[in-house]
Amino acid sequence: MLTYNFRYELKLLLRSRWIQLLSLMLLVLFGFSAFNGQQKVEKRRSDIAEAHLEMRENDAMMLMLLDSVEHGLEVSVPYWTIPSSPMALGNYYPRVAAMEPQPMAFLSTGQADLFTHYVKPTVSGDDFALNFTEMTSPVQLLFGSFDLAFVIVYLLPLLIIAFSYNVLSAERENGSIRLLAAQPITIQEWVMQKLGLRFFWMALLVTVTLILAFLLIGMDIVAQATSFLSFLALVLAYMLFWFALAFLINLQAGSSAKNAVALLGLWVVFVLFVPSVVNQLGNTFYPMPSRTLMINEMRSLKEEVAKKQDEILDNFLRDHPEYALNDTTQSRGFYHRYMASQRLIREELSPAVNAYEEQLQKQQDWIGRFKWISPAILAQESLNEMAGTSTENYEDFRKQVIAFAETWRGHLTPFLYNNRDFSQKDYPNLPKFIYQKSQASTWSGLAIILVLSGLVYLIGIFIYKRQKERNILTTF
Amino acid sequence: MISKTFLKETKELLRDGRVRIAFFIVILLLGLAVWISARQYENVNEQYEAAKMAERTIWENQGEKNPHSAAHYGTYAFKPKYPLSLVDQGVDKYAGTSIFLEAHNRNEAQFSAAADQTGLARFGDLTPDFILLFIIPLLIILLGYNSFTKEREMGTLTLLKSQGISMGKWILGKWTALFTPILIMTAFLFLVAGVLLSGLENFGIFNWSALVVMFLVYVGYYIIFINIVLLISAKTRKSGVSLVISIGVWIIACLAAPKAASNIAEAKHPYPTRQEFTANVLKDKKEGLDGHNPWSKEAKLLQEKVLTEYGVDSLHKLPFNFDGYRMQKSEEHEAEIYFKHYNYLKEQFVQQSHVYRGLAAISPYLPTRFLSMAIAQTDYATHWDFADAAEEYRIATQKFLNDNFAENSEYGNWGYRADADFWKNLPAFDYNPPELDSVLSYNASNLGILGLWLVGSFGLLLFTTKTI
Repeated sequence: MLTYNFRYELKLLLRSRWIQLLSLMLLVLFGFSAFNGQQKVEKRRSDIAEAHLEMRENDAMMLMLLDSVEHGLEVSVPYWTIPSSPMALGNYYPRVAAMEPQPMAFLSTGQADLFTHYVKPTVSGDDFALNFTEMTSPVQLLFGSFDLAFVIVYLLPLLIIAFSYNVLSAERENGSIRLLAAQPITIQEWVMQKLGLRFFWMALLVTVTLILAFLLIGMDIVAQATSFLSFLALVLAYMLFWFALAFLINLQAGSSAKNAVALLGLWVVFVLFVPSVVNQLGNTFYPMPSRTLMINEMRSLKEEVAKKQDEILDNFLRDHPEYALNDTTQSRGFYHRYMASQRLIREELSPAVNAYEEQLQKQQDWIGRFKWISPAILAQESLNEMAGTSTENYEDFRKQVIAFAETWRGHLTPFLYNNRDFSQKDYPNLPKFIYQKSQASTWSGLAIILVLSGLVYLIGIFIYKRQKERNILTTF
Repeated sequence: MISKTFLKETKELLRDGRVRIAFFIVILLLGLAVWISARQYENVNEQYEAAKMAERTIWENQGEKNPHSAAHYGTYAFKPKYPLSLVDQGVDKYAGTSIFLEAHNRNEAQFSAAADQTGLARFGDLTPDFILLFIIPLLIILLGYNSFTKEREMGTLTLLKSQGISMGKWILGKWTALFTPILIMTAFLFLVAGVLLSGLENFGIFNWSALVVMFLVYVGYYIIFINIVLLISAKTRKSGVSLVISIGVWIIACLAAPKAASNIAEAKHPYPTRQEFTANVLKDKKEGLDGHNPWSKEAKLLQEKVLTEYGVDSLHKLPFNFDGYRMQKSEEHEAEIYFKHYNYLKEQFVQQSHVYRGLAAISPYLPTRFLSMAIAQTDYATHWDFADAAEEYRIATQKFLNDNFAENSEYGNWGYRADADFWKNLPAFDYNPPELDSVLSYNASNLGILGLWLVGSFGLLLFTTKTI
């Protein structure tokens, strides 16, 4: 029976031009979205490369200036930007702290359009004032990006629904259900086989078109075999969930239109409602403290600190006697006071700044607890994770940058308090930022989607068994 | 005949459990969305008032200080929230809410709400505009997809044909039956919003005419969807197929087109990265006059010019403090640089808007979205307007401070302190958003596109369905 079904189904799909149409649509959708993603990644790469190039040029310039200063020559730049002063170096010749794209970054835009991919922390800047958001039109952020994740999470289920809503109901509406009832196979098995075959064909088409789209944008699939396979596994699992839902609805023996309405309703619930409700509840239970009020707090603190700068410097030097000992000149200028008070402001404000991170973490945990309600959330988060564009990735980058800013300051502060000039031979020792990607497993999302699909399948069978007394030929 | 069809269809809808449930769910969601937004709105407004007051107090209580130190100390401009943002949040979530106004630098608005939320926020929020723009069109599809196909499927088509019914009247009857419940629901929602808004205390400027215009825009949007759904229903043979095609149209119009438009707009007219932008500004600034650098070539040129103008041979003999004067000149020069660079951004934004308008040909969603945001004063143009106003205020503040410095001290006296009361003389920042008329005339092309859609969809519905 399976072989008959297989042959018949293939003929039917080919003759109704479903397969042709589907391959074309998939190819166009995957191609366009992968191209969009690739374009964004390339822009990101070239932006970072340009920033590095600019930094190297500036460094060459800095070394020239240092050389002139060391030879006692006159230089043509304003005196407060001469890099022999460690603070001038730290402010005017910052390092680039960049977040290089992951190999699969084109899969999902995620938060990549919202956050910047490189910053240049300076010695005297405020960490909390470091702006990590990117300069984008908010309209684009509102509309989002037509990326592969969008096609997979939003559109693929709709294609599946259009492909499978009337498997059983069409037989009844065409009058062929009596023929079917005469076959030596239960309805449940028949629907199962039929949907299984459609899943098989669709999976095949999706795999082939995805590979084609990836080759088209010039991705090296062989080199990225593991990433590609886990991506493919996720997509297939997500498709399986929607086919399981289609199985559940088809067995309810409604009319084609009723089935379609029910499936679309489920799509709206899983893809549109659950994510926004979960997010909204997270925001309500763990609201972000007001940023405007934080500004007020920061301002009054700065005002207070500015009044006591001398006192703060004295306290600082008392805590760090090594600076007082090593320096023979003991001259103290603006930056000595400034850096000491900045340090105090940082320490005082850190609870307020950490409150945001903690609250964000709580929201993230909240989502973690409820994300299994919707496979759409699971798929989107897993895809972001694979692409390295999730909220956690950017949070992680931010932390690394702030740590690097501390290193940068820590490297140059001793120069300042020892009143030592920065010289050419100190240049190679300048700290460099290297972004480390946090390794997160994407398999848990996949596993949960598979479990959910199994659950939906079992519910389908259970409900069908309960109402078996209904006659498939007469009930409508 | 129109009224008979209308009555029959309305009865059918009322008796259909599916319709009752759908209506109930939509009303429930709307209520929930309005409640959430109203809470958020009040919350944000409270914070806004508190922050504004606190900032002004900080500014006024600076004590004796050199005006230029005060200029570096700076002040903040906070962006207010407007009543109609209750209906449409627009881009508010993605645009910053406060701008730091200081000497020498024009800063961008910072701290957008989206940056402080998890990635899930990108799925969208349960807000009234989400229901109005996405869910009610879906409801229209649900109510109307089988309007004509059911006659065929139930075999009543032959009966109807024998009645000698005119196609036009039949369609109009069906159309009114679909339009009436949607109209009632939308009107009810806007009425509730209006009552709620005029009941809220100390909420700036709310006017009913803006709400009415917004209501009309949405009604137009729904009429377009009704026309499309009925057209599809009349042209297909099976209800299921009609539903799938209608949903396809919905996906393209509401989901795919905006995203594709955003990608195309960005690829064609990209913004510079934040760091690039800063670097470009810095490069231009380096070449010009720097108020802090009296040794640069530009500073020397200015010095000579002023000396010859006043016919004196030393800066000390000028009737004002040249330091303050140079500060002001450099401020003006820097403001020009910022003006140029921000104008470039604005130019990109205008070009991007053209892309969106071009793609509105395949999506009535786009013009509706832009109009709704504009009327609610939550669109990008309003944000620009606010940023420009803040910049104007910044420039005026700098002039106010530098003039005091120049007039009240002599050259070289950096130890000069302004009175503690002086800061109160600076007028507070007050921003008024563009009026409804100017918003509408600015969005005339969007209105035009929506009008074209309206006329076009009516034409298609009435003239291509001569026979069923």
